[in-house]
Amino acid sequence: MASTRTIRAAARQVKPILSVDQGEARKRVLNLYKAWYRQIPYILIDYDFPKSKEQCREKLREEFEKHRHVQDIRVIDMLVIKGQMELKETVEIWKQKHGLMAYWRDSVDPKPKDFLSKFLDGHD
Amino acid sequence: MASLSRTLRFAALIRPSAVLSVVPRAATVGCLHTLTSRESRLSNTTLLSAITKATSGVRSYSAKEPLTLDLIQQRVMLVLKLYDKVNPDKLAVDSHFMQDLGLDSLDHVEVIMAMEDEFGFEIPDGDAEKLLRPADIIRYVADKEDIYE
Repeated sequence: MASTRTIRAAARQVKPILSVDQGEARKRVLNLYKAWYRQIPYILIDYDFPKSKEQCREKLREEFEKHRHVQDIRVIDMLVIKGQMELKETVEIWKQKHGLMAYWRDSVDPKPKDFLSKFLDGHD
Repeated sequence: MASLSRTLRFAALIRPSAVLSVVPRAATVGCLHTLTSRESRLSNTTLLSAITKATSGVRSYSAKEPLTLDLIQQRVMLVLKLYDKVNPDKLAVDSHFMQDLGLDSLDHVEVIMAMEDEFGFEIPDGDAEKLLRPADIIRYVADKEDIYE
């Protein structure tokens, strides 16, 4: 009885990735947002970006809102680390223009509508 | 030609309207273009720095205007009114960002960043998360700039 209780308590404690509580995770997220926000004017200059500053800010907000519902601290840490990796690549100009424009690309290709596109796609 | 454009650019910092009236009709398109771009950059800065640039005519080597509590309040409220997610009718000195104005934490980060840009000094995260009303921001800036309350 006591052993199962201790096992259950041990299973509830998971090894953290970076943050130990919600407050720390929240700080990391807000810092990442601030870093990206400050980088946007330089992105527009470095990449000769076709989008405007407001569009970039909207897209940044959208990307953060996508994961608004996440509660698990380890998942939040992982997302922050991925965001930081993207930021590093963007700052050092290891990405190219198409890499950044991918944020605006649809994730699903549109289905072919006219006959020839359907034929070339191999419709059933 | 280069010296003419340089003097015009310097003069544009002081009195853009006067310079535009003085520019001769024979001026090249390129020269006019530098004037309009300089003028548009001037209109982007805050009211206060525009006024000091117009009146002083002397270079200010990162010197700041003498701040008073009232001036800080005006600047903070102006920045908040210009923020498009804030409803200017609901804005008051003691209105809470999250509860009264309906901003979320990312908007709050943007507001704090705007304040950092306005007053020219970094606000660390520990302090920033406590600044939830314009009154708090005004008091914080006054503390940092050593303005007597």
